[in-house]
Amino acid sequence: MSVVEIVRFAVRGLIANRLRSLLTMLGIIIGIAAVILLTALGNGASQYIQGQIAGLGANSITVLPRQPPDTVGTDGRPLTQGDVRALADPQGAPDVASVSPVVSVQDTTVEAGRARTDATIIGSTPSYFPGANVQLGTGRTYTEADVTAGRKVVLLGRTVADELFGIGSDPVGRDVLVRGVPFDVIGTLAPAGQGQGLSNPDENVLAPLTAVQGSLTGFGDLTQIVVQARSTEAQAAAESEINSILDRRHGIDDPDNRDYQVLSARQLADVLDDTLGAFTLLLAAIAAISLVVGGIGITNIMLVSVTERTREIGIRKALGAPPSAILGQFLVESIILSVVGGVLGVAVGYAGTLVPLGDFRPVVLPSAVVAAVGVSAAIGIFFGAYPARRAARLRPIEALRRE
Amino acid sequence: MTAGLGTAPLEQVPHVLDVRKLSKVYGSGETAVHALRDVDLTVRRGEYVAVIGQSGSGKSTLLNMLGCLDAPTSGRYLLEGLDVADLDERQQAVLRNRQIGFIFQAFNLIPRTSALANVELPLVYAGVGRRVRRERAQAALSLVGLQGREDHRPNQLSGGQQQRVAVARALVTTPALLLADEPTGNLDSASTADVLGLFDRLHAAGRTIVLITHDDEVAERAERVVVVSDGRLTEAAPSAAELPPRRPGTARAPR
Repeated sequence: MSVVEIVRFAVRGLIANRLRSLLTMLGIIIGIAAVILLTALGNGASQYIQGQIAGLGANSITVLPRQPPDTVGTDGRPLTQGDVRALADPQGAPDVASVSPVVSVQDTTVEAGRARTDATIIGSTPSYFPGANVQLGTGRTYTEADVTAGRKVVLLGRTVADELFGIGSDPVGRDVLVRGVPFDVIGTLAPAGQGQGLSNPDENVLAPLTAVQGSLTGFGDLTQIVVQARSTEAQAAAESEINSILDRRHGIDDPDNRDYQVLSARQLADVLDDTLGAFTLLLAAIAAISLVVGGIGITNIMLVSVTERTREIGIRKALGAPPSAILGQFLVESIILSVVGGVLGVAVGYAGTLVPLGDFRPVVLPSAVVAAVGVSAAIGIFFGAYPARRAARLRPIEALRRE
Repeated sequence: MTAGLGTAPLEQVPHVLDVRKLSKVYGSGETAVHALRDVDLTVRRGEYVAVIGQSGSGKSTLLNMLGCLDAPTSGRYLLEGLDVADLDERQQAVLRNRQIGFIFQAFNLIPRTSALANVELPLVYAGVGRRVRRERAQAALSLVGLQGREDHRPNQLSGGQQQRVAVARALVTTPALLLADEPTGNLDSASTADVLGLFDRLHAAGRTIVLITHDDEVAERAERVVVVSDGRLTEAAPSAAELPPRRPGTARAPR
């Protein structure tokens, strides 16, 4: 009794009940398709966010002031130019390439003629452009001389330029009023695209630090400090140098109770990656439940099949089928159901990933495909074992007696 | 397989079947049902034996024992000299496959499967290769007069034809013993005559047949009849030997 014959019997048994076989398979198809699709979604989202974070500037580190958690009511020390100078000291912070003090004002009215819009005004130094990974579109960036002189010049984000001067326009040489103060437009920023990072750089207006301080914020504390590490590899070292310098300057003993926080794309990537990983796992677990339900469907149908074909089993046994042949026939039936269901499920899941969702596309993991087919075969064996054993153990006399 | 009976002395002919003090009890204690009590039966090679009895007499139980479909409570059963009790489930399956051909009242063909595939089935379990299998199944089908019907499914065949497929299936492994359980019970008179004629031919060709029936007319075709009644087995007097005493007058031949 060869394997080929057992498979032939199994296929014949399945074809005899086409609709039922198909419906049973459907449980596995849905389960496997769900696993493939959901892991692909998680994977696609993860790749998309990684790409977005790389766009933020992989070497960029942002220092923000914050309320220390343990000192209720008392503000921490603000970030100052003194902090900037300390961080820029190559002895204390050898892994830091540049330090840019930043002041920013959100929701500021910018006008050009009769057009007006709200934008975030960011005042900094020329090192901010590489430091925060901001690309120039047209015109020029402001210079160290502009900062020193406090010249009222601005670079407009693409959205701001579009709203004030028309879509695709080049406003270099024109004037704008920032909260009533006239500024010369010297350039525009390259479009960054919707939703890059946490705020939209297309809605920013960049100006020299001193000009923003002189006309909008006053010469007080900094909103943030942007630090650029020497390289992506040096980022972790740069972060710890920043921490030790600022801890000393701000008199911090407890790292949990700092009055500032250090953010980097790397940290953001790690956090998002962890979150997404957990989320993907959750989705896959839910999909796995549907797979188990599909497997139980196989057990159910195979039990029905064994009961329904009790007489046939009896005939086969009377004709000399050994228990192993009966076991094999029913086991192979359930394996075929689950493996064919698994392959179809992979196909359905893959077809599902071709539908783009928002900004990102799901990415099917080859390992998930291999695992899905392997798991479906295992489901066939596991959930088919009990019915097949029951068939094999039927006593021929009792099986034959059944009408 | 036909040589034995004619040429060898009777004592050397091995018994195909040798049943000694076979009992079968269903249940236990007060509710125990003694389906068979101390049955002895031997069948020689080439014999055509009919087992008759009322329904509930235990004849079906006997057939199940003889077919290795059920195990006796006590007693010994030798099939081709082999003690069946010594065999495990797998070995019994092999024994059924090689030594016994079953013919059932309800035909018991596999539904939705062609006549040829039904006849091939025992050969599949015997591990016979595809080509040989096909040839032997075709030969068996033509032996029962069904050549040209190989691809018909059971539901496309008449009752008589289905039973002939079943006979072909029983024959195809050239078993030592053909076991028929009420083979004509579901057939009309024409098909009954058909199938019984087939049995006569198989008997003439030297096959060993044990046939169970409650129909005396069917039993008359056999060369030997045993009666099962209340789980006990008695040998019916040979019909030929029965004749003279019944009509004593005819014995007096005219002088």
